[in-house]
Amino acid sequence: MELSESVQKGFQMLADPRSFDSNAFTLLLRAAFQSLLDAQADEAVLAAATYILEAGKHRADKSTLSTYLEDCKFDRERIELFCTEYQNNKNSLEILLGSIGRSLPHITDVSWRLEYQIKTNQLHRMYRPAYLVTLSVQNTDSPSYPEISFSCSMEQLQDLVGKLKDASKSLERATQL
Amino acid sequence: MLLELSEEHKEHLAFLPQVDSAGKLNVSSDTVQHGVEGLTYLLTESSKLMISELDFQDSVFVLGFSEELNKLLLQLYLDNRKEIRTILSELAPSLPSYHNLEWRLDVQLASRSLRQQIKPAVTIKLHLNQNGDHNTKVLQTDPATLLHLVQQLEQALEEMKTNHCRRVVRNIK
Repeated sequence: MELSESVQKGFQMLADPRSFDSNAFTLLLRAAFQSLLDAQADEAVLAAATYILEAGKHRADKSTLSTYLEDCKFDRERIELFCTEYQNNKNSLEILLGSIGRSLPHITDVSWRLEYQIKTNQLHRMYRPAYLVTLSVQNTDSPSYPEISFSCSMEQLQDLVGKLKDASKSLERATQL
Repeated sequence: MLLELSEEHKEHLAFLPQVDSAGKLNVSSDTVQHGVEGLTYLLTESSKLMISELDFQDSVFVLGFSEELNKLLLQLYLDNRKEIRTILSELAPSLPSYHNLEWRLDVQLASRSLRQQIKPAVTIKLHLNQNGDHNTKVLQTDPATLLHLVQQLEQALEEMKTNHCRRVVRNIK
């Protein structure tokens, strides 16, 4: 039997009691067999997942869900079960959906270095402090984590910090409105 | 600290006293070029090493010029020293340097995958200079990270005021 590396890795996850306890293991195993052997089950699971995503995307409330499920001829008990499960997972779902999408490179951290410049081969007796600032950036497009580094004098850093503080204060004021 | 002028340099500079006040030069273009190069070397090396007035005068003295010419050269050195040093500092291996920062507050209201959001963000345009090229980078961050950035960089600024840094600045001259 030849299985790709990713499939092997995924399958080996089932062995880990930390990832899936015995209950979850049983359920998953059954679901796997069912989705293979029972075409209808497979279709149903897919449809349910799609519906959940759409409901999450549009931030459906309980009454919207109930109405739709009633239209689909779900009985009272199943509607309750569905809504409870949805409620339990709502927050995680919204976080997941909110994190999907393109955005500008996102600054995650900053590191700095203070140095005292003494001389270069072009210029002796410099004697001035300088900062080296590195911004850690996360890109949604690529999994890479590029960094942006630049040098600045003390005055320039004061300018930079001043502007960031202005942005911060503006943000505070805006959230209080 | 005296400037060491090689024989070649002295030769190049030797043509300077021959330039008459009317500015007419009766010499070959080679000689003129060498003279200019010699003068350039004299000024840039002096500026680079930041030699004192007295040392400059002594260094130039070996060329055997007139009192007037020596004074002229000294004045030339003092007048242009700062600018020459600024230009020389730009020749050093350098990273992009900070030029300016523009910011904008945004609130994301919805996306293709999630409606009815209120997601505040700060969009930043960072202006950097490198070797004369102006570079801009557009970045974004969230309110929490923004506060973190401000805090970290304020600490960086505070470092210069510590005793340790003050001592270093005082003692390395």
